Amino acid sequence: MSVKPVAHAHEGAKFLEEKAHYHFHDERLWDVRQKRDQEMHILPEWQELRQKASEIKEHTLANLPEYLEQFEKNAKANGIYVHWARDGEEHNRLVNEILQSHHAKSLIKSKSMITDECEMREYLEPQGITVTETDLGERIQQLDNQLPSHVVLPAVQKLTGDVAALFAKHYNTDPNDNDPHSLTEAQRQAARPIILNADAGMTGGNFLVAETGSFVVCTNEGNADLSANVTGLHIATLGIERIVPRMSDLGVFIRLLSRSALGSPITQYTTHFRKPKKNGEMHIILVDNGRSDRLAMDDFWSSLKCIRCGACMNTCPVYRRSGGQSYGAVYSGPIGAIIDPTFNKTKYSTLPFASTLNGSCTNVCPVKINIHEQIFKWRRVLVEEHEIPFVKKEIMKMAGRLLASPRLYRAAIKGTNVALSTMPRFILYNYLNPWGKHRELPHPVKQTFNSWYRQNRLKSAQKQSEKGGQVQ
Amino acid sequence: MTTIHQNARDVILAKLREKKIPQPEQFPLPDVVTLGDLDASPKRFEDNLLRMGGSLWPREEGESLEEAVRRKFPDVKICSATDEFKASFKITDLRSLKEANLVDVMVVRSPFGIAEMGAIFLSEKELSDHLADVHLAQHLIVLLSKSDLTANMHTAYQEREEFKSAAYGVLMSGPSATADIQGVLIRGAQGVRSLTVIWTD
Repeated sequence: MSVKPVAHAHEGAKFLEEKAHYHFHDERLWDVRQKRDQEMHILPEWQELRQKASEIKEHTLANLPEYLEQFEKNAKANGIYVHWARDGEEHNRLVNEILQSHHAKSLIKSKSMITDECEMREYLEPQGITVTETDLGERIQQLDNQLPSHVVLPAVQKLTGDVAALFAKHYNTDPNDNDPHSLTEAQRQAARPIILNADAGMTGGNFLVAETGSFVVCTNEGNADLSANVTGLHIATLGIERIVPRMSDLGVFIRLLSRSALGSPITQYTTHFRKPKKNGEMHIILVDNGRSDRLAMDDFWSSLKCIRCGACMNTCPVYRRSGGQSYGAVYSGPIGAIIDPTFNKTKYSTLPFASTLNGSCTNVCPVKINIHEQIFKWRRVLVEEHEIPFVKKEIMKMAGRLLASPRLYRAAIKGTNVALSTMPRFILYNYLNPWGKHRELPHPVKQTFNSWYRQNRLKSAQKQSEKGGQVQ
Repeated sequence: MTTIHQNARDVILAKLREKKIPQPEQFPLPDVVTLGDLDASPKRFEDNLLRMGGSLWPREEGESLEEAVRRKFPDVKICSATDEFKASFKITDLRSLKEANLVDVMVVRSPFGIAEMGAIFLSEKELSDHLADVHLAQHLIVLLSKSDLTANMHTAYQEREEFKSAAYGVLMSGPSATADIQGVLIRGAQGVRSLTVIWTD
């Protein structure tokens, strides 16, 4: 079955046309990025925290099977059912089995992108199970049939008017309501009865702790606490890379997570689940879904350190201007660009090219993932494996030949300058020049540096070197 | 059912053992660290609680806890999760989620707070196993002692045994909040609409 690559550039261009959305998106995320900077400057130990976080994660990944076994042993001793899923399908089947064995028909869910990764909703709904997102942003995206746009701010690409229209359709609210307060209240009122009548609750999780067999969920709305506690059945789904060795390691991560994500010291709720509640049942599903494959990739294993703070997205000029939906993937932005191709090399082959390689993502990453270097490495892999379009590939080949030969390069520069100043626009700006789609080509120069140097400096430089002196 | 899961587990672990790139000897476990500001003062706790959207409620001279809470929330349904606070009904009286949903104010005692985050801790012990009820109530009043503060997240995880012993342990830094609609910060998204701390010493 052939898979079409995501048309990131095309979708990004469409997003740019929606001026109000694009400006808000850009400014909102940059604001969050600046708040993160303020937090960083308050803490003199910031870089040390990042270093520790990175070391703890690297150590854990290097000993992953042992820590997973330790976690499993302790969680079981605490009365938690521990399940393992190799892929999304296996995960969904498991969830369905657990729900069926409890005759549960309605599931309330607190943000867990891993279930989007597994396409769980699509699997459960035909089985007669209603799945309701409880996080406001995630619910907005669910009602609009869209994937989350951002790992922390799922509906950040929408304006109040979009939400008003959506809620008018689903909650019968005023379509002209432009007050986020009353819209949020409408969601609270609509969600409460669903929460009170749910048969089962599901959460994701931010950290698994091997030492105690517990897991931690960080939210601002408290929706995970509701989802987990209102019914007697709590299912938690986490990726196997989420683990840390000791409870005390959480000090490092909790201090970094929300500060990196939103510029707030901590999320409003940081919840530690160690045992099922009284008379309740708790299930944990440990999901692989490609993670073990990634851990076996020399250049890309360290992307598993990611704690999903979204800082790389907030700082990325490409993400801010193209919007999360343009990535066509569960994980967007810079982190998405390096982990999505591990899920599907062809479908996500365009994403590593959605970057300026400016390195800002790497600089803000709280666990020190070399994101921009991995983006660059993916480009090489994709080129070697022919996962990039013909035109781009051929142009790169030509560019390679050109840059390898100084004589050819100089001739080409001369020719280009002539072309730029004489050729009509329709020849310069066509489909062979995707770079020129959103920007102007540089102005032609009267003289290149090389020819200026030959004219003015070459002779004196040669004389200098004959005398053994240094060229100044 | 069991064989399938057993299989998945063994397949995943075997794959990890066979193929993972980072090698244990290259990445030793770092020591436990205690970094940052170690100020555990009530002032620092208060500043951060306010920053996170929580509030403080002063007790007036000679005023009982009940009078102080009534001064803040007159004429509403108050439920108490602690013997220190006398209310018309207790958390253990709540028989259903629907009853809990009608509670206006819940009063709880927190065993400790974290100064760095303005966070308070609650577990099944303080909530008498009524875990959902505290989040279904509209407003939360937290009783806290100034001597039960720890400096920051490092000291909290190292000093407080609750993190290893509680079945359910939540750190709350202020009320439920969201900024999901056009970035406007709103308190009271799904859980409590307000969180107020009263010092008991």
